[in-house]
Amino acid sequence: MTGYVQFVGTAKSFGPVDVVRKTSLGLDRNSLVVFLGPSGCGKTTLMRMVGGLDEPSSGSILLGGEKVVRPDRRRGMVFQSYSSFPWLTVKNNIAFGMRYRKDLGATERAERISHYLKLFGLADFADSYPNRISGGMRQRVAIARTLAAGSDVLLMDEPFGALDALTRERLQVELRQIQIREEKTIIFVTHDVEEAVFLADRIILFSRRPASIVADIDVAAELGPDRPLEIRETQKFFELRNKVLHLIRNETGVAV
Amino acid sequence: MLEFAVSVAAAVLVVALWELAARAGIIAPQFLPSPSRVVIALWTMLTEQNLLWHVAVSTTRVWIAFLLAAVMAVPIGIMMSSYRIVGAALEPMIDFIRYLPVPALVPLSIIWFGVGEETKIFLLWLGTFFQLVLLVADDMRRVPQEFVEVARTVGANSRQVMIDVALRWMGPTLLDNLRITLGWCWTYLIIAEIVAADSGIGYVIWTARRFVKTPEVMAGVVVIGLIGLVTDQLLRLLHRRLFRYL
Repeated sequence: MTGYVQFVGTAKSFGPVDVVRKTSLGLDRNSLVVFLGPSGCGKTTLMRMVGGLDEPSSGSILLGGEKVVRPDRRRGMVFQSYSSFPWLTVKNNIAFGMRYRKDLGATERAERISHYLKLFGLADFADSYPNRISGGMRQRVAIARTLAAGSDVLLMDEPFGALDALTRERLQVELRQIQIREEKTIIFVTHDVEEAVFLADRIILFSRRPASIVADIDVAAELGPDRPLEIRETQKFFELRNKVLHLIRNETGVAV
Repeated sequence: MLEFAVSVAAAVLVVALWELAARAGIIAPQFLPSPSRVVIALWTMLTEQNLLWHVAVSTTRVWIAFLLAAVMAVPIGIMMSSYRIVGAALEPMIDFIRYLPVPALVPLSIIWFGVGEETKIFLLWLGTFFQLVLLVADDMRRVPQEFVEVARTVGANSRQVMIDVALRWMGPTLLDNLRITLGWCWTYLIIAEIVAADSGIGYVIWTARRFVKTPEVMAGVVVIGLIGLVTDQLLRLLHRRLFRYL
């Protein structure tokens, strides 16, 4: 088994409750992998272990061959809620990503901030507080902060789950573009099949708790790397979406 | 602006009714003197009885005890929620002491500290510290885990998480809790000054009572109310200034 992120016989239980069954899996660098599965199945726990926020009960996780022991800025989290700090302006939220970096000078920090403000279309809101901007923008701020921190791996826990359909669509397109442009490895947790198929290079489908892998779907082979919005209306997209839906019904025994 | 006008109008109305009731002689003046007589009493107390000095003495007592309580309660409350051991050790004890009524501890406090300043400060501290520490511990527990984890994944250590995230997040509620407990301090102050003091607003009120100088008693009460009102408004202003992002 190879890969940039490697799960080596990783399992997790909280007390007597098994959350993640022994899992072995390798994820490629610079790819977007979606963890898809029913709510509360343990996929988030698996992702959190990559971040070093939870510790495997057995087995381990390797990042570039090195064992993950604690959180550091190489792996950044983006949550659904409480994603940006309310007491910091948009600009300072992004700067927070670099707060504990000693390798950057003042000019470099300022450059990176303005780079990400532009990249995410946030320049006009640089001095606004999060309560003055939309939910979609708050999620952009969170992603920008993680990138500014210099994270190599982005761990995203249903980041677009609370957004309206249109905003969600736009952010999905943007995320895909940014992933390619900034060459990041992304693990994206969701229970939304459309979102999974649209975003993913690869979908790992999980069973109900305790999570174990029921399918491993190579989406990139079918849809390619570029994902314009129109791809959602193609035959290939439909077929793939239906295939995943069937897998979920047959394998996990629940509708997500 | 409208709200402010309504607040003022309502207060004026209450005072006017009070004046009317007193003047009409419905209630004997030794029970309810008219507002104008209270104001006159207040003026005499200010000019002839050194009221301002008593106010200063009381305010100093309140603030010393309050700051002492705050300086201790904030770190201890945070520790109680950050480390389970500390919480397990302290919380039951604090919960017990919290329910002891401060007046019940007055005799004990006099035995320990005599009738000097220490007794008053101790009683005020007693009334605030144990309440405040639990409020702080509660606020600390409510810091969203997501914020903590975001900070840790951009490289913050525990101390940095505490200062840059937990304290920043707690800021607004912390200031609110301080504002509320400062109010309680004044309650206990009067108890402390009535029991054992030869200065302070509580002493002034209690002395006036002995000679049934009801206007002076009322003037004393009004002064406490005014101090409370002003302090509260100042702290609210500070709240708005500090936490513009809310």
